[in-house]
Order: sequence, then C-alpha cells, then structure tokens
Amino acid sequence: MIGKQTIEDLLHRLKNDQNTVHWQTIPGREAHTAPFPDDLDEHLKDALRRRGIHSLYTHQAEAYNSAMMGADLVLVTPTASGKTLCYNLPVLQTMIEQPESRALYFFPTKALAQDQKNEMADLIDAVGLPIKSHTYDGDTAGSIRQKIRQAGQIVMTNPDMLHASILPHHTKWVSLFENLRFVVIDELHTYRGVFGSHVANVIRRLKRICHYYGSNPQFICTSATIANPRAHAEALTGRKMLLIDRNGAPSVKKHFLIYNPPVTNKQLNVREDETHSVVRLAGEFLKNKIQTIVFAKSRLKVELLVSHLQKINRGRQDRATIRAYRGGYLPLERRGIEKGLRQGEIMGVVTTNALELGVDIGQLQVCILTGYPGNMASVWQQAGRAGRRAEDAVIIMVTSSNPLDQYMANHADYFFARKPESVRINPDNIMILMEHIKCAAYELPFKKGEQFGSEQVDELCDYLTDEDLLHYQRGKWYWMSDGFPANNVNLRSAAQDSFAIIDVTDRGHAKVIGEEDRFGAMTMLYEDAIYIHQGTQYHVDELDLNERKAYVRKVNVNYYTDSDLAVQLDVLAMDKHAAFDNAHIEKGYGDVSVRALPTVFKKIRFETYENIGWGKIHLPELEMHTNAAWISFDSIYLDQFGKDVFQGALVGLSHLLRHVAPLFVLCDQNDLSVVPKIKAPHNEKPSVFIYDKYPGGVGLSENLYQLMPRLLEKASDMAQTCPCESGCPSCIGFVNEGRAAKQALIRLLKERSTCH
Amino acid sequence: MSLAQKLKLYRKQLHEQNRAAQESSLNRQQQDPTLNDERQNQAIRRAATALAADLRTFEDQYVLVHSERLPLATRIGPYALGDLWQTVASWQAFGAAHPLSAKGLHAGDLLFFDTETTGLGSGSGQMIFLIGLARMTDHFLELKQYFLPGPGHEAAFYDSFLRDCTSLKHLVTFNGKAFDWPRVKTRHQFVRDQVPKLPAFGHFDLLHASRRLWKNRLESVRLQSIESKLLSMNRENDVPGKLAPFLYFQFLKHPEPGLVKGIIEHNREDVLTLVSLYIHLSNKILGKAAVDPEENYEIARWFEQIGDHVHAQTIWKTLIQKDSAFQIPAKARLAACLKRKGDYRQSLMLFESVIAAGGDEGGLISIEAAKLLEHRFHDYSRAIQYTKSAMIQIGHQQNDEKMYQYKKAACLKRLNRLNRKHAKKFS
Repeated sequence: MIGKQTIEDLLHRLKNDQNTVHWQTIPGREAHTAPFPDDLDEHLKDALRRRGIHSLYTHQAEAYNSAMMGADLVLVTPTASGKTLCYNLPVLQTMIEQPESRALYFFPTKALAQDQKNEMADLIDAVGLPIKSHTYDGDTAGSIRQKIRQAGQIVMTNPDMLHASILPHHTKWVSLFENLRFVVIDELHTYRGVFGSHVANVIRRLKRICHYYGSNPQFICTSATIANPRAHAEALTGRKMLLIDRNGAPSVKKHFLIYNPPVTNKQLNVREDETHSVVRLAGEFLKNKIQTIVFAKSRLKVELLVSHLQKINRGRQDRATIRAYRGGYLPLERRGIEKGLRQGEIMGVVTTNALELGVDIGQLQVCILTGYPGNMASVWQQAGRAGRRAEDAVIIMVTSSNPLDQYMANHADYFFARKPESVRINPDNIMILMEHIKCAAYELPFKKGEQFGSEQVDELCDYLTDEDLLHYQRGKWYWMSDGFPANNVNLRSAAQDSFAIIDVTDRGHAKVIGEEDRFGAMTMLYEDAIYIHQGTQYHVDELDLNERKAYVRKVNVNYYTDSDLAVQLDVLAMDKHAAFDNAHIEKGYGDVSVRALPTVFKKIRFETYENIGWGKIHLPELEMHTNAAWISFDSIYLDQFGKDVFQGALVGLSHLLRHVAPLFVLCDQNDLSVVPKIKAPHNEKPSVFIYDKYPGGVGLSENLYQLMPRLLEKASDMAQTCPCESGCPSCIGFVNEGRAAKQALIRLLKERSTCH
Repeated sequence: MSLAQKLKLYRKQLHEQNRAAQESSLNRQQQDPTLNDERQNQAIRRAATALAADLRTFEDQYVLVHSERLPLATRIGPYALGDLWQTVASWQAFGAAHPLSAKGLHAGDLLFFDTETTGLGSGSGQMIFLIGLARMTDHFLELKQYFLPGPGHEAAFYDSFLRDCTSLKHLVTFNGKAFDWPRVKTRHQFVRDQVPKLPAFGHFDLLHASRRLWKNRLESVRLQSIESKLLSMNRENDVPGKLAPFLYFQFLKHPEPGLVKGIIEHNREDVLTLVSLYIHLSNKILGKAAVDPEENYEIARWFEQIGDHVHAQTIWKTLIQKDSAFQIPAKARLAACLKRKGDYRQSLMLFESVIAAGGDEGGLISIEAAKLLEHRFHDYSRAIQYTKSAMIQIGHQQNDEKMYQYKKAACLKRLNRLNRKHAKKFS
C-alpha cells in the first residue's frame, strides 16, 4: 500500500494538472482591533478576558457603539468573523443596565438558534449574572414555554415560529412585547424571494404588535456579502439602516482553484460531467483523510455524488464517514451529521447550500464547489467553510458545461473581481400580502386608514370582508371567522402544502423518509420516477395528490429520471413597456398567467447520460399568476432568418438568459423560468418571457426588466466567446439548425448593440 | 400597479387561497350594505328587547344582559337546584381534601360558568360573544347571560361581567381550565386598561372529573352525552354548539335576534346542567349516591392519586367483596396499598390471589409477588417461580420492542440474583 499523501503533495499535483485553469492565492489578513468600549460593563469585560479576548475587532466595536446609541444597523460579515459578539454585547449590556428589557433573536433555522443559544449560555455563564436566554421553537418542551413567555429576557426563535405561534398568541407574551428593546435578525441574506417577502410581512406584524404594546425595538441584522445589504435590510424591516461593513477579523491564506473538466467531445464541445471530476478530486482528499466538504446545487446532485464517493470506501463503517446533508432530511439525522463533522468522525460531507449558513460544523480543510453556485454570496459563504481557523485553506470550484460556469472558467479575472448580486423581495406581492393581512387582523383589528408596510390597506380589508373573513364595525375591521389564518401560510414553500415521502419497501413497516413541496413532488415524485434519498434509489409506486403522499419502494437500477414541462403563457396586464433599437426590439413587464403541465419523463443512464427510455406523466396542470419580463422582436426577423432558424435562435437565447439572469439578481435558477414563444399571444411577436416562479412574483423579473439591455449584452458576449460552432451546453444549448441559429442570434444581438 | 388593481387581477386566485382559511364551509350571506353604525345601534336595541335582555352601556358601547331567577325547586335532570345546599354542606363534613371539595366555601361562592366563542382556536383572534353564569342565593338561583352585540363592544361586555361577579370565589366549568378561562384571559388583555382586573378564582373543572369516571362508557365525554346517558336529561330543539360561530357571524351581518336565540338557550342549559352535574359528581364521591363498581374504582384511584389512601382503601375493600370486572384490579390496588403500609402478609396473599385468578397480564403482579417473597419472606424458590412466570407474561406482549427488552433484562437480573441467593442459602 502506498503511504498517505499530504495536502501539499495533492496541491502540487493539481498545480501541474492542465485542467486547473486558474490558481488564485488569497493572502491572509491581520486582525484590526479596538480596545473594549469604556462603558462596557466590567462583568462583560471580565467574561471576555477569561475567554482569551482582550480587545474587539474594529467592526465589533463599531457595531457595539452604534447599537448603544440606538441605531438600527446591518452588519456585513464573512464566515467566522465574530459576528455574534456584534449583537450579543449591546444586548447583554442593555440587560445588565435594565433587566426588565427584552430581546428577540430570529434565525432562519432551528439548528442555528440552537447553536446560538449554547454560545449565549456560555457567555452568560462567564458573565455570572442571571440573564435568562432560551430558544422557543417546535422543540421547546411544553413545561417551560410559559416560563419563557413570561420571563425569558432573550428569546431565540425562527420566523415560522414567530408567524404561527408567537404573534397570533401575543396576549401571552405581554412582558416581551411591552419591553422589547432589540430584534436581532441573523443571516439576513437568506430572507429573499418568497421566503423574504413573507418574512418582511411577519416583521410588519411584529412591529404592529410592538406598537400596540408601546415598545419600539431596535433592529440589528447580519448578512453575508450581497450588493444591497442596506436596501435589503430596509425593505425587510421598514427602517432606515446604518451599514457596518469594514471587517476587522483576520483570515487564513486561501488557495482558490478553478478546475475546468476536460473536453470529451470536441465537435460538440462537451466536457466531462463536473460530478465525475468532483468525485475524482474529493476522492483523493478523502482517501488521505483530509476533511472535505463538497457543495452541489441540487438535491439530486448531492445524492449522486454521495453514492459515488461512498464507493471509494468498502467497509460499511467507512461508508458512514461520507454523508449527505440537505433539506428534506429529518432534523435528528442532520444533528447527527453536524456532530460527526465537528468531532471528526465524518470525513466528508456532500451538501446543498443547507450548510452555507452558520451551522457549527467546525473547520474543514478543503471545500469543493460542484459548479458555480449561481451567485457570489454563495461562493464566498461556501468557501468560508474551509480553513476557518489555522491552516491554509483549499477551495476548488469545478465548473460545469453550463454557460455561466464556462464564462467564469474563461474569465477568472471577471470572476474574482465580481461584485455580489443584489437580493430582492416583494413584500407587497398581493398573494403574500393578503395572507398576512389576515394574520394581522387576527392579531389586532385594523383601523380605517391604517397602513401596513408602506400602503394603506382599507381596500384589502373591504375585500376580506366580502370574503366573510373580516367584519367591519365602528371604524375597525375585526377577524370574524373560526379559522386560524397563520396555519394556511407556509413561509418557506412556494406551494403551501408539502408531500410526505413514504418508504413502503417493507409493507409492515412503512416510514416517512422526507418531504417535498408540491412543485417538487410533481417534478420529482411522479409515478415511475426514480427518487434518490441518502444515496438510495426508490421507485415511486404512487403519488396521492389528495392525501399529499408519495409511496416509494427501494430499487437498484442504473438510471435516473428527469421530467419535461409543457408551458402555456398569457399576458394579463402590461405594467411597463419600452421599445429600443429603432423599435425592432421591445421589452415589457407585467402580470402573466402560466399553466405548466408535466408531460413526459426520460430515463437517463448513470455513466453515459444516454436516454434509455421515457414514460408519460399523468398529473393535473399547475396554474399560477405571476410577474414576467419579456423581450419581443420585430416579426421581420422571422422572414430575414427563416422561421426554423429564428426559432432555434429564440430557444438559444432563452438558454442563455436563464443562465445570465442570476448574474444580476440573487436567486436560484429554479426561482425563474424562461420560455420562448415564436408568437406571443399578446402581441403576436417572437418573444422570450422570464417569469418569477411564484404566484404574484417576488420582484426578480421586475428587476430584470430594468436591466434588460445589460442582460442581452451579457448573453451576446457569451454566445460570441464560446468556441463551439453550432451550439453547445455552454452557450445556446443544442437547438435545431444549431449552426445557423447561433449565427443568427449573434447577428441579432450584435446588430442591436451597434445601433444603440 | 396599485394594490386595488392587483386585487382585481388576482381576485380568483385570492379567493381560492381564502377558502383554505375557513373551517365551516356553510353558505354565507353578504353583509347588509346599509348597516351603518346608527342602524346597527338601533338593531342592537331591538335585539335586546327580543331577547328579554337589559341594554347596558359603557362609554359608547353596549352589552345585552339577560337575567333570570330560578326557584330552588326547579328540577334540572335528577336534582332540584336547592340540592346544591346539601351537597356543599356534605363537603364541609367530609374529612379529607379533594379537587372537587367545597370545604370552606359557601354555595353562594360558586360561579357556574360557560362561554360561546367565534372559534375553537386558542389565538388572540377568537372572541367570546356569550358568557353565561349562575350563582346560588338563599332563595333562588340567579342566572345571567352577557351577549356581545358586536366586536367593538368588548369593553362593555367584560366590564359588565366582571362587575357582577367580583364577590364570587370559585368557578365551576366544563373544560374551563383549558378552554373558557384562557379565552377570557386572552380577550381581557385587549380591554385591560378599561375594565376591572380578572379575579383570581378557584376552579372546579367538571370535565376532568367526568373523564375520570365515565371515559370508558361515553364515546366522547361531552356535556350533552353526560346529560342524555347519565342524567336522563333530554334537550329539545338544541342548537349544537359548533354552529355558534356561524350563527353569530350571520347575526353580525343581519342582526336578527332569531339567529342567536338558539345559541343563547343552548348556553343557558349548559350552565344549568353544570349545577346538576356538580351535585351528581360530588354525591358519588361523597358516597351519597349510588355508584357502580367502575365509578367506585375510578373514584378510589382518584383518592389514591391525591394521596388520600384512607378513602381509597375503604373503597378497595368494598370492591373486593363483590364479583365484578373490578374485583381483581381492586385486589391488586389494595395489595399495593397494604405493601406500602407494611402489611406484607396480606399484601402477598392478595397479589397471589390476583395471579391465581389470571389477573396478571403484564407480569407486573408476579414481579410484585417475587419482590415480597425475596425481600420480606426470603422464600427464593417461590420468588424464582414468580419471576419465571412474569417472563412468560412479558413474552406475550412484545409489541413495544424497547420496553420489552428493558423488562426482559430487568427480569433476568432479578432471576440471576435470586438464583445466587437461593444457592447461597442451601450451601
């Protein structure tokens, strides 16, 4: 047996690997510190000193001073920069000065709240004063809930709990709401899109209740690096924010490599699938017992990677040292993995962005990104998982053949100079807003003329009165229904209902192995699909839409399944509209109706990715109203290029836009859909629609409408710089009339850029 | 686009979303559009007359208060209202503490209390629109019902109710600990600056007592099933309580007194039944009324749980005399009782008689017998026998895998120890 290789050996080999297309060394950084603030209580100073802290990082000191002066603030902090002290110090200081005051912390997940509770408990212990800090979530024992409601000084929870439990029962929390001084919102950047739009409304409700009880809490938010932290914090909280973004924490030296897998088919410009390269690279580190974290974009990819990586270890015990971690797993399973990572029993973990957040998994040495994660905030959050404390860190981004990845691989300078994307929410999405108006009315009656967020909501209350949910009397709208409105709102899931996945392999012992939302169920759990969970393949025997259950059975086959959607699109109302390029191109924005129908699925062989069969999907249509941005081309182009070629160009442009859009707004590719229509129903012109994949829209397409010329420029740039001749996955994809379509598209986009 | 325009565009989607929020799917009427504040006030006055209620005002708010005086001879099921005096007197004479004991209380201290609400949820958005209460006086039972004529009148509602009952000490409810009283607390929060404080009442919750005695014979322990099955009472034309929210919402939109008349009557009967039920339960516990073996067994268990072994033991002793389904369980209970008191011989005899009668399904009684034989009588060979038979019994009940393994391990440990002791004794 060959001896173990060190990380230096492996790095040396990578240096000589021709697929390593870029090597960036990011130097370490010295700490910038400031002395303890004078007014900081001696107990706190002592407690810090006893933990070996003798000064603060500059951003911590700045946060403390601003918070103590009463500012609402947002901190932008990378992983492991001591952000918790930024809010814990002013909160504890205030508690020491005024023990009756209260603070409410909320975290995007229960796990994070749990982590923070432990950290806070240690600090309070060290301070030696009786400050009561607790988590309040679904796991909190019934016996201590009442005590927390009445006497908890620092309550740590999550937005879901705030929404469905704390706010609707505010009369049980009088001492909290009367004395609330601080609201701490951690991981602010996670509150985006649908979730963020909901949370912004939950915060409106929170503020409304505080106002009723006479308190006016200060907001302290923290966020990963995004383009618009202040604007986002302001949109979410409705407050003017002070931004603190000068980080004083030190960091280790980092090697950031871009690895572009080899081309396997020159003609088609097809590269080796990035998962193969990741398996190879991660395998090398894992074999040499170097703790490694692998990020992948989809749950499916996570499962594929784990099943491949587990093969490098033969024994059952060894297999268990490489684990998958993603949403859809049960909490206990996840807690076990987190602990295993901290204690070093688990060598490798493959995860979705679920481990991007501050879940404490200790330090890992190597971080591998399977493809460009889709946004720069994620790149740096994920990279931050490597080398949190002492040694040099290694980060490898393995690019896929999708256009954005290839663009990044070929423009590394652009990649490293890139600014993070902006985060968007749309709290006034009518579908979301209306749900929260109901919840708010349940909590406290609405007064005539009362504002919720930035708008007066009398008309919405009138509507809800017509719907028999509110009753108007003497200038106020009262909740008048036997329902509990918060129960019908799930803050996180696009579709409001989730499906249970039930393993019936052993008929006598059926068990729930996970859950999916309705959209996920319709696209991953249709009958005869192969569903992969923790590396195990399951065949879907039945999808029960009424009971919201999918019955699955363990199988072992050499293929996976992928579904196709047929999409109908109608413009309901056009809000904004502009023409450019001598009126040859127009852009629009407005409300659309989208009807999507899963039609067929393909069976795809694992190793070769060839299509080895297909089947029909029998499911009802999903219908929604949402916001869309679109571009339409003059019909003369149709004649100019020929219908087939132009259609190919349009499909190609859709392919490009789908990948370009996330360069401008922070979202998953899954948050948006792009649909080409050779004849759009509203103007009969060839068009490409980009729509928010959530009823009512979450602000993404509105933003893209404004940026449309820049979007087209980027698309043009990508099509032109791609070396392929007739389209490849890295530019326009595989379309009919590929060569001509690509040329047509380049001309089309070039023409517009010269004449504008 | 303005919110109003959005509203128009998304009406259909919103409507579908709203359907999910309503639990009752009954057809509803639209609100009378001409119902302004002035007309509403007129309607409230008319309703007061129709419901034979006084109209009380508080600032600009109203509450309807219906009062009645019922003669003490009025019969509610098997009892006359005046029987409450005797019951309260019997509690004074009863030697021990009990959760339903009125010792130290006067019949006039009791506040029989029931509410109707706009929904069963526990959140802050559900209101109480009707409070019914009854109290005993020397010459009659006084019954009052407070009706909330609309959501904007809660200060008047709570002010009126609280001023009327400040002198009372003890609530008597059916599920009031978990339901009615927390609801009162929640809604009181909204008007707490305008109305008197909530008094700190004692509380007899008759649901708990009823569950103890009758959970096996009643499909669901509800007031109506207790009335019909146990108190031989029969309501005519009763409006089911679950319709209350719906009828009240209708009333708010069209203030026709007829809509809520049935609910008010329903509440009135509920309150009166509480008087009868309290007498009934008390008499059973005090031994002043006939009890069947099951009731008696449950009453004794209750005594045991509150630490009153004297009363419990008396009942066990009665129960083991007569043949019934509770004879053997009562023996097991009594045996445990005697063991605690140190009467090991009697205790062992009873345990053995339970085992002999086949009353040891879980193996626990055999273990008890084995413990006594081992530690008190040092009769290891019989202790071994009982431990072995306990293991057989445990083996029959493998449905809870974890518990089974745990029990089996405990038995094996006992067996090993007994074998050692047994061997030592004869070495």
